[in-house]
Amino acid sequence: MRREARWGYILTLPFTVHLLVFFAFPFFFSLYLTFTQWDMFNAPAWIGGKNWVRLLDDRSFWSSLRNILLFALVFVPLQTILALVLAFFLNQSIRAKSFYRVIYFLPVVTPWLAGGTMWGWMMNKTYGLANYLLGLLSLPPVDWLDSKHWVLPITSVALVNVWKGVGSSMIILLAAIQGVPKDLYEASSLEGASRWSMFWHIVFPIVSPMIFLVLILSTISAFQAFDVFLVMFNAPNIVPDSKVTPNILIYKDAFLTTKMGYASAMSWALFIVIMAVTLVQKRFEKRWVHYG
Amino acid sequence: MKSGFKLSLVSLLAISLTACGNNGDDGNGNSSSPSSSDQPPASSAAPKEMKLTIGLPGAYDVTKKEIIDGFIAKFPNIKTEIVEVPWADFATKITAEIAGGTAPDVWVQENAIVLGYGIRGVAEDLAPYIKKDLNDADYISGLYASKTPDGKVYGIPHGINPVALAYNKKMFADAGVTPPTDDWTYADMIEAAKKLTKDTNGDGKPDQYGFAISQGITQGWYPWTRSYGGQVLDDTKTKAMFTDPKSIEGIQAWSNLVKDGISPDADFLKVAGGDWKAFGAGKVAMYFMQYSNQTIINKEFADLDYDTVMMPKSMDGKRIVPIVTNSWVIFSKAKQASKDAAWEFLKYYLSAESQMVLAKSGTSIPVQKNAITELDVNTNPKNKKAFSDGIAEGGVTTDENPSWQEWRLAAQPIFADIYGQKLSPEEGAKQIQQKVQDILDQNR
Repeated sequence: MRREARWGYILTLPFTVHLLVFFAFPFFFSLYLTFTQWDMFNAPAWIGGKNWVRLLDDRSFWSSLRNILLFALVFVPLQTILALVLAFFLNQSIRAKSFYRVIYFLPVVTPWLAGGTMWGWMMNKTYGLANYLLGLLSLPPVDWLDSKHWVLPITSVALVNVWKGVGSSMIILLAAIQGVPKDLYEASSLEGASRWSMFWHIVFPIVSPMIFLVLILSTISAFQAFDVFLVMFNAPNIVPDSKVTPNILIYKDAFLTTKMGYASAMSWALFIVIMAVTLVQKRFEKRWVHYG
Repeated sequence: MKSGFKLSLVSLLAISLTACGNNGDDGNGNSSSPSSSDQPPASSAAPKEMKLTIGLPGAYDVTKKEIIDGFIAKFPNIKTEIVEVPWADFATKITAEIAGGTAPDVWVQENAIVLGYGIRGVAEDLAPYIKKDLNDADYISGLYASKTPDGKVYGIPHGINPVALAYNKKMFADAGVTPPTDDWTYADMIEAAKKLTKDTNGDGKPDQYGFAISQGITQGWYPWTRSYGGQVLDDTKTKAMFTDPKSIEGIQAWSNLVKDGISPDADFLKVAGGDWKAFGAGKVAMYFMQYSNQTIINKEFADLDYDTVMMPKSMDGKRIVPIVTNSWVIFSKAKQASKDAAWEFLKYYLSAESQMVLAKSGTSIPVQKNAITELDVNTNPKNKKAFSDGIAEGGVTTDENPSWQEWRLAAQPIFADIYGQKLSPEEGAKQIQQKVQDILDQNR
């Protein structure tokens, strides 16, 4: 047994070392950094809780949390519902099913740089397609991305993010829906169930664990949003508070002004927020997710 | 056996962790222990069989290959290695390399960043080197763009990039407006810009503008703020001055150009491809042009008939000419011998031979006085004196200090909102003042 255990340790050693060096060490080191001032060029200087105190008073950081919260509130439910509806219909016997699946998945493999630039132009106030269409309906132009009211630009970006992300969520849910036994559809059909009843009483409960997974993953990715803002607002390092996200602030402090201590404090604060939101989601899990 | 196994495990972990850390050696045998920047160089002569690594962001698009090749040919005893990196990736790369102690011995970067390196002990103080080997009288004051209030010099200019007023001759002639002169004030410029702004297709919106204001610091809000008598930072560079009434007046004048329709808005310039393209395409009659812009304008708009005059005079008759400098920096943690080789390279870069090459390239203005007389006056803009005399008369950096990058990044989005008429100059100045002052206080 001891001999087997020894071999076990030896064979898992590369993974253990990898885990310790590239995951555990940075994790705890970044926590230590939150209590330091570190410019990356000299040894970190211990400053106690000053970074955390500054964080409480940092208007930009609180604005970024407000922005990302709205972003998540728009993006997560919208993407999940849309992905579920698409997955349900693309599981039906319809013509050119594969074609539609490819079309809906295409944005996932489109680079953000191309997709974001395209959407940026479509949402341009003066020359954009969106306002051109509104003009045809005699509606006034909307400043989708540059409005001084923060809600509008953040919502616009969240919608673009739905376009980009719905395909991957759809694939996960489609796989789950395809696992629903066909005889359940047949039996309910014989009982005269409508398509809505089939969806709500059969499909939804069975795929609910996957919906929960999609919700958790989408929420985490929403709070970590970076590239979509990076592309849609052109200059991530000079976005105003009304459009900033925590990850942009972290990037700016860590890599543009090398204030690694404060950037680490913001990273940990974001981690705490994401953990809290995930725990809240987990708490409500039993109310609607059905396992087996 | 069991304890032996544990020992092996611990040793392996220790080796792995050590490999990831900075062990004080850059892997090339270079010690990372800082050498005292107060000590003058042991010798200015290039040591025999030296190794020198030169970091070139933007490669030979930024630094002329002719200069590098000339140095390599002239100093065969210095084994020179060139590290080329795209300009956009350089900041990230160099930060990691400095942290790891593996930075090149000498490289070029934005001057404001170099000042930040200075206070963090990354950049070698070049004051003793300059004192020993250079004659001040041979150079313009721009040589000391990286000088700190306490007399340290953390960089040598790669070249000076000043701003001048560029104007489209044809548009002025067509509109019957007298072309600008070096005696123009801001009021003269605005008056002419009004006359040059036209709705040529009758759709109720201008499609030709008199002047394109920039949202950025160097060609935009900095010269406007200063020229109306205001300040951005005070003389000690520790106090923000955005809420000074004269500063607000300058910001107001700057944003009014968009408000009054004399300057195009951000969307117009975005579609046009930027201010210099709008100027090149004849959609804008004037703009504040950086010296380096000429190469790309001449390349893309070969038929454009334009010239430059000095920046307009301020309200008080003085002239503010913002200059941008990229600076060569010597890595303070390199071996002394490598530093000496790096200084040998910088001396060569500052020599008449190299500075003439720089003068003819049109990318920036050299700091050597003789070389300035060799600026190419056969290509547009022919009045290169608008730049060189501008530096002499009113050349100023954009209040660069070690936290410049940080406070500029904080101020810029608010200026963008003022430019976009989303925020009044008074309210915007208040917000900028608070943000910038916080940063200046944190960096004290």
